[in-house]
Amino acid sequence: MSRIKLTATLLASALYATAASAAWVPEKPVEFVVASGAGGGTDTFARTIQSIILKYKLMDAPIVVVNKGGGSGSEGFVYGSGNGADPYKVTFGTNNEYLLPLVAKMGYTADALVPVAALALDDFLIWVNAQAPYKDAKSFIEAGKKAELKMGGSQSKDTDQTLVSMIGAATGAKFTYIPFKSGGEAAVQLAGAHIDANVNNPSENIGQWKAGMVRPLCVFSPERMAQGPKVTKDMSWGDIPTCKESGVPISTYQMPRTVWLPTGVSNDAVAFYTDILKKVSEKPEWKAYIEKTSQTDRFMTGDALKSYIKQDAERATDVFKREKWMVQ
Amino acid sequence: MQNPSGTLLSRFSMEVGVACFTGLLGAIVCYGSTEFGTGWGDAGPEPGYFPFYIGLFIMLASAGVLVQAFLTHRDRQEVFLTREQGHRILLFFLPMFAFVAASMVLGLYVSLALYLFGVMTIQGKYSAPKALSVCLGTIVVFYFVFEKWFQVPLLKGPLEAWLKIY
Amino acid sequence: MDNFGNLMAGFGIVFSAYHLALMAAGVLLGILVGVLPGLGAPNGVSLLIPLTFTMDPVSAIILLTSMYWGALFGGSTTSILFNIPGEPSSVATTFDGYPMAQQGHATHALTLAFVSAGIGALVGVAVITMLSGWVTQFALKFSSPEYFAVYLLTFCSFIGMGSASPFKAIVSMMLGFGFATVGMDGISGNTRLTFGFPELIKGISFLVAVIGLFGLGELIQTMEEGLRFEGIHARIRMRDVFRAIATLPSHIVTLVRSALIGCWMGITPGGPTAASFMSYGLAKRFSRRKDGFGKGEPAGVVAPETADHSAGTCAILPMLALGVPGSATAAVMMGGLMIWGLTPGPMLFIERPDFVWGTIASMYLGNVMAVVLVLATVPLFAAILRVPFSIIGPMIVVVCFIGAYQISGARLDLWLALVFGVFGYLLKKLDYPIAPMVLAMVLGDKTEDAFRQSMIFSKGSLSIFWTNSTLVAGIMVVAMVLLFWPLISKLIQRARGQAA
Repeated sequence: MSRIKLTATLLASALYATAASAAWVPEKPVEFVVASGAGGGTDTFARTIQSIILKYKLMDAPIVVVNKGGGSGSEGFVYGSGNGADPYKVTFGTNNEYLLPLVAKMGYTADALVPVAALALDDFLIWVNAQAPYKDAKSFIEAGKKAELKMGGSQSKDTDQTLVSMIGAATGAKFTYIPFKSGGEAAVQLAGAHIDANVNNPSENIGQWKAGMVRPLCVFSPERMAQGPKVTKDMSWGDIPTCKESGVPISTYQMPRTVWLPTGVSNDAVAFYTDILKKVSEKPEWKAYIEKTSQTDRFMTGDALKSYIKQDAERATDVFKREKWMVQ
Repeated sequence: MQNPSGTLLSRFSMEVGVACFTGLLGAIVCYGSTEFGTGWGDAGPEPGYFPFYIGLFIMLASAGVLVQAFLTHRDRQEVFLTREQGHRILLFFLPMFAFVAASMVLGLYVSLALYLFGVMTIQGKYSAPKALSVCLGTIVVFYFVFEKWFQVPLLKGPLEAWLKIY
Repeated sequence: MDNFGNLMAGFGIVFSAYHLALMAAGVLLGILVGVLPGLGAPNGVSLLIPLTFTMDPVSAIILLTSMYWGALFGGSTTSILFNIPGEPSSVATTFDGYPMAQQGHATHALTLAFVSAGIGALVGVAVITMLSGWVTQFALKFSSPEYFAVYLLTFCSFIGMGSASPFKAIVSMMLGFGFATVGMDGISGNTRLTFGFPELIKGISFLVAVIGLFGLGELIQTMEEGLRFEGIHARIRMRDVFRAIATLPSHIVTLVRSALIGCWMGITPGGPTAASFMSYGLAKRFSRRKDGFGKGEPAGVVAPETADHSAGTCAILPMLALGVPGSATAAVMMGGLMIWGLTPGPMLFIERPDFVWGTIASMYLGNVMAVVLVLATVPLFAAILRVPFSIIGPMIVVVCFIGAYQISGARLDLWLALVFGVFGYLLKKLDYPIAPMVLAMVLGDKTEDAFRQSMIFSKGSLSIFWTNSTLVAGIMVVAMVLLFWPLISKLIQRARGQAA
């Protein structure tokens, strides 16, 4: 009993110490702006973080989650940056924050928000129908050189179409890209063999893979994914070769899951949220989320994150210029 | 044109007015669609294809309505709105308009209270305390249902910011 | 009869005090969400998901699905009593439900709506129970051309909704299509018709339009006629309830047809909204009392409600079996499934039969419970209407605008609702039909997307709509028959006349 009391006092004083040392703490409800509709990947990302913050009481102020998924998520970024330097609006997105304004007039500019942290990297794979003749990425690319193949993906001029364009440019294979509303739709279209391949994230295709309707060919990450338990009878995520080792010369293509604040908020506020997100990323519930969605666990912040974003944006810009997608 | 007494708007003029308005909408849609290609490209219709023809159809059909108006409603002197009806509509519409305009600045909670209070006391002839209690009750119910229970925030203004609940 | 055994096992899981209590709570919350404008089922379900993090998946899905049923029923209540559809799929119910209520048949309309909805839902679950084996194969056949064909079929079944002037009907429908194209274009990624307003990028929500056109437009008209609000007596008298139920057998054809449309649209998945519109259109087309539709024809309530609910329940099946959500709410639930650590897809039926069959069993019980609870709570909501109009009038105005704001939390939507209100009043007074506009706004962009995806598939050749599969060709033939039905029926009549 006294021991519990002791820990409680210690904990309280520790909390007090952090609260005292932090120069900024929220004094009213914080809005989590989700740049996707309810049920989307970004929504799950934000709500997982919300539930972990609530469970461990990492923040005293209440959290209100608002979904703003219109216009491929641009609605969320417009809303998140629209109220000046308001530290009570935390926006959740992917790399779409800095890629969307490049391809269409969006009502916000990429530098209207500052990155706080990236918590995970979502991988991309080449998937084909299980009945398709291609056994590996190489034979798939060869087929693409002989006849045009149909590739499906989520949204237009977004990450999926960019990757398809990069594969085409790097290998000389020809693809027709068909945009669907979501990765889930592209997954079903592939399972029904209406398209030849898609480049979905692991969580978007895992159900069809488990059921033996689709098959992964390779993953666009520098090394193989974490081994984990077997997904099908004889394969786990770690058994999928990287695209580089199977002859597709693109070593990395990943999508960061990012958290943003409006430009101009105080450094203290950025530090406050960085600290909370860092704590979130260390909790077992976070690890469970990463494993469930088969993402890569990677916490990035500060300059490392900024240079990552710069690199990512530059590479995409090359593709956008080649495809003439850049907005005038 | 000789109006029957008390007529504010005739049916004919409203038919013409609305048809011109929808025609204008059609023209705007057509104009907006030309920003992107309106043709039929290699991969089917271009982004502006559908909006362009939709706009065109709106304009054509509006012209049809206009012609019909001239054919059937011109000489019938049907009444669209009498003076008294117009008066009633304005009494209803203007406070509603003010409510929306006020909510842009003051947020929904404050402006809905002002709106309810105003309409109830001035038009409904309720006593101020009674109206006030209805306003406060509404605000409390909405606040708990939306903000606390379902956690969907309503538009807020300076008062809420001052109270630090937003 | 393996499915039957599984179902019984499912009932075994569901029958516990805890689960029944969850079900009742879910239904009641759902009714509340459905009645409050702007807080639709998708919204309500996503707000409950955080509560289910710590629950067992079976309990969690029971809570969420029950809320869905409750919201569907709640949406019909406001459609009939206030002419404000709480859910997009209950828009079609307003066409005849509200006139019935105005004429003093609120109890009759509500009872018909709830009972036929309940029947639709039960047919839906029964179909799910039987089909869960091979439905996966069928739904996989659906690609963009098939989707386009289904949407076209919906439009075709809806054409000829009585109107004074065909030009006015065309203006109305085309304006709906025009509003639907505003915002980001999913195929090219361009933002269309936004004219530089960033708030328009997300598009014009048809819910905002509906709140304006129906809710506010109706109020303005009521005001014009003086402060004479038709107090709708919605006290539920058991006698009226039984009398309404007794008329059901006369709607048997409508019931069966609507339930079939609903099941088909739920599974394929065209969704409950398309199903309710299509079913309403067909009920009118084949009715002997065509002129009564829109003025309080009971079959006009039975048809959309039955189809709406059978589609709503059937939409759960492709979500579980394929990961294809058949409705917006099903999409949110699918997000929940992933959070609980389940992967929707065919393997779910093999890996977690307890979950799948528990869900299906709970759907039987949940819908029966929802019918009972919603009938019991109607007097509560109807009591609102006995409040004097100088209070309730402005209150409805406030609720309409709050609902409009809730949809996506945008200030612009408040102005849009106001504009649509005035516009709706003008259109209604000048005998423009409004239903085609709403239908076009709901399905317009989906139809265009499916068409343009098909064109990318076929490299610009329209023949894909005939040659892609026998399925698409079949749907297209039915659509064309419906489109030219007035002509065809005339020909048939003439042929008969000559024969006689």
